[in-house]
Amino acid sequence: MSRLKEIYEYRLMITSLVKRDLRGKYKGSVLGFMWNFVNPLLQLLVYNMVFSIIMKAGIDKFYLYLFVGLIPWLFFSASLTGGSTCIIAQKDLIKKIRFPREIIPISYVTSQFVNMLLSFIVVIAVSVVSGVRLTIGGILCLPLIMIVEYIMALGIAFISSALTVYLRDLEHILAILAMAWMYASPICYPESMVPEKYLALYRLNPVTPIINAYRAVLYEGRTPDLTTLLAATGIGLAMLVVGMLIFAKLQRRFAEEL
Amino acid sequence: MEDNVAIKVSNLTKKFKVYFDKGHSLKELLLFRGRSRHEVRTVLNDVSFDIKKGEAVGLIGHNGCGKSTLLKLISGILYPDSGSVEIEGRVSSLLELGAGFHPDLSGRENIYINASIFGLTKEEIEARLQSIIDFSELAEFIDNPVRTYSSGMYMRLAFSVAINVDAEVLLIDEILAVGDANFQAKCFARLQEIKEQGTTIVIVSHSLSQIENICDRSIWINEGRIEADGTPLEVHSVYLDYMNEQRQKNGGKALDMPPEYIAYLQERRYKENLKLSMIPEQQAAVEANGGQYRWGSGEVKITSITASGPDGVGKRMFEVGSDVYFKVHYHVEKPIKDAVFGIGFFRNSGENLYGTNTRIDGHKNFDIDEDGEFTIIMRRIPLMPDQYTVSFSIEYGDGVPVDYWKDALKIDTYRQTPDVGGFFMEHDWEYDAYEKDGREDGSGS
Repeated sequence: MSRLKEIYEYRLMITSLVKRDLRGKYKGSVLGFMWNFVNPLLQLLVYNMVFSIIMKAGIDKFYLYLFVGLIPWLFFSASLTGGSTCIIAQKDLIKKIRFPREIIPISYVTSQFVNMLLSFIVVIAVSVVSGVRLTIGGILCLPLIMIVEYIMALGIAFISSALTVYLRDLEHILAILAMAWMYASPICYPESMVPEKYLALYRLNPVTPIINAYRAVLYEGRTPDLTTLLAATGIGLAMLVVGMLIFAKLQRRFAEEL
Repeated sequence: MEDNVAIKVSNLTKKFKVYFDKGHSLKELLLFRGRSRHEVRTVLNDVSFDIKKGEAVGLIGHNGCGKSTLLKLISGILYPDSGSVEIEGRVSSLLELGAGFHPDLSGRENIYINASIFGLTKEEIEARLQSIIDFSELAEFIDNPVRTYSSGMYMRLAFSVAINVDAEVLLIDEILAVGDANFQAKCFARLQEIKEQGTTIVIVSHSLSQIENICDRSIWINEGRIEADGTPLEVHSVYLDYMNEQRQKNGGKALDMPPEYIAYLQERRYKENLKLSMIPEQQAAVEANGGQYRWGSGEVKITSITASGPDGVGKRMFEVGSDVYFKVHYHVEKPIKDAVFGIGFFRNSGENLYGTNTRIDGHKNFDIDEDGEFTIIMRRIPLMPDQYTVSFSIEYGDGVPVDYWKDALKIDTYRQTPDVGGFFMEHDWEYDAYEKDGREDGSGS
C-alpha cells in the first residue's frame, strides 16, 4: 500500500518520462509528431495491398479486420517484449537514484499506450470511412476495453521487466513468445477457424476477449459482449496484482544485478 | 525513533556476490548451476550509527571500503541483507547529476524531467523554476536544446536542479567537483545555506577538504566497519596517518598513493583558491590542539617560523600595507627531491584568504638535502585589522605533503585610519563636486 502511495507521489515522473519519450521520439524529423498518424496509415496501406491483391483472405474488408486487431496487439506485445528491457535500459537511473522502480515499467507501458491511442484515431477514422456503423454502446465501451488492456499489459510488463534483470535470455525468449502469442490470438484470422477441440484452450488466452471486443465495436459495429469483457477485467486486475507483487519482491536487488 | 534523529542505521550488513564471471544467461544458469563461481564479500558488517537532524556528516575511506554502498543503502537504492535504516523526512539523493536529461529537449523541459525524478510535483517545480534557472546562470540558453550546451553548462543545469530540491535529508556522492572554480564556490555556498536551514546532509567524498568545509562530523569506514567517528579534523588526521602508513608499506613511492589522498591534496590547493569557511566546531578542534594541525610524510620538518618586518626582528603586529617577511627553517631527516614550498593565509573563522606555492609562482622544484631556510616576503599586505593564521607547507611536486603545518603562526594587523572591510583596496577618488574649502574643481585622494 505504501508503495502505491509513493508511486502516486512520483506521478509527475511518469508523465515526464512519457512526454520525454513521445516528444523525443520524433524530434528532429520533418513530420515530427505527425508520424504518429502517418505510421499507422502507411502500415494499413501495406496490409491492404498484401491482403486485397495478393493473399485474398475471404473476409470482408480484411485490411480493417486485421488493422483493428493488430494495433491493440502491437501495444500488448511491445509491453511484453520492449517492457522486458525497460529496466535494463534505465539502469543508470536505477543504480543512482532512489524512486519507486515501478515508475519505469508504468511509464514505458503508458507511452506505448499513448502511441496506441494516437493510432486509434486513425483506426476509428478508417473504420468510419469503410462504412462501419459505430454504435453508441460500442463507442462507450471502447475506453473500458482500452483500460482493461492497459492493466493487463502493465501486469505483464511488471513481470517481464523484473525477470529480465535476472535472466537476460528472457529478452529473446519473449520475442519468440510474443510471436507465438500473436498466432494464438485471433488477429490475422477469425476465431471460427480454430478447430472445435482446441477452442476451450484457445479461449484461455486473455488477449482474445480484448481483441474480440475491439473488433465488435470497430469492425462489426455492435456493442461487445459485456460478460466476457467483465471476465477480462478480472483477469487483467489479477495479472496486475501478481505483476506488482513479483516486481516489488524482485526490485530489491535491481541495483546489484544491473 | 528519537525526536532529534534524522537517520538511524542499525546493525546494517550488506553482502555482495562477487562473480568471477558473471552469468546472466540461461545457459550459464542451467549448465553451471552450483558451479557459478562467486564469493560472498561482506561490504558492510554490522554498522550502526545515528545522524542527528541538521547534522552534516562526511563518509570517508579508501576505494571499496563500503562508503558508497552505505550511502546507497541509506538512500534506498540498495536493500540491506540484515539490519535497518530509518529515515525521518523527505530524502533527496544526489548520486547522479542530470538524471533523465534528454539531449533534444530544452533546458527548461529537462528541469521538469530531472526534478520529477527527484519526486517533485509540478507545483513544487514551478515554485523553484526561477531559482533553478538563476542558479544555473544559463539565462536565455535555458530554452535551447541541451545537446547544444557545453559540458560546463550541462553540469551547471544539472547541479542547479539537484541543489534546489529542498529535502530534509540530502545525500551526496562525489558530485561537488562540477563546473569551474567559481561555480564550485557557489555550490558550496548554496550547500552551506541548505545546511543552515537545518537540512541533514550526508556526503561521500574523496575530497577530505570538502568534508572539512561542510561537515560537522566525519565517519571513516574501513573494511566494512566504522573505524573512526568524530569531528572531521580529528578523523581525517587519523585517516591520513593510516593512509600514509599504507603508503610506506607500499615502498613509499608517491605514485602508489591512494588516488583519494592525492585528490585531497589537489582539493586543498583548490581550496586555497576558494573562499571557504571552516565551521565553528572544526575551529574549536583546531584551537583545542594549540591551534595546530600538522601532517606529512616527515622527511623534512619545519623547525621554526618567524614573522618580521624588513629589519628581521620577529613580531606579531603588522600595519596594514606593510611588508611581512616569513622566514622558515627546516631540518632534513632524509633528503628529498622535487619539493615545493607553500604558504596559506586564513581568517580565524577558517576561511582561506590566499594561498600559493613556489610552483604556482613559477619556480623550479627544489631538491633538499640539508637543513636550511626559505623566506617569503608578502608585499603591502592588504589584510584589514584582525587576527590571521598562516599555514606553511613543504610538499612534493605531486602535492603529497612532506610537512604541512596548518595554522603554524598567528599574526595581527592594525591600521590608523577607520576605513572598514576585509581587505585594503588601493584606490583614488575623482570628482566634480566642490570640496568644503571652496576649490572650483578638484581631484584628490
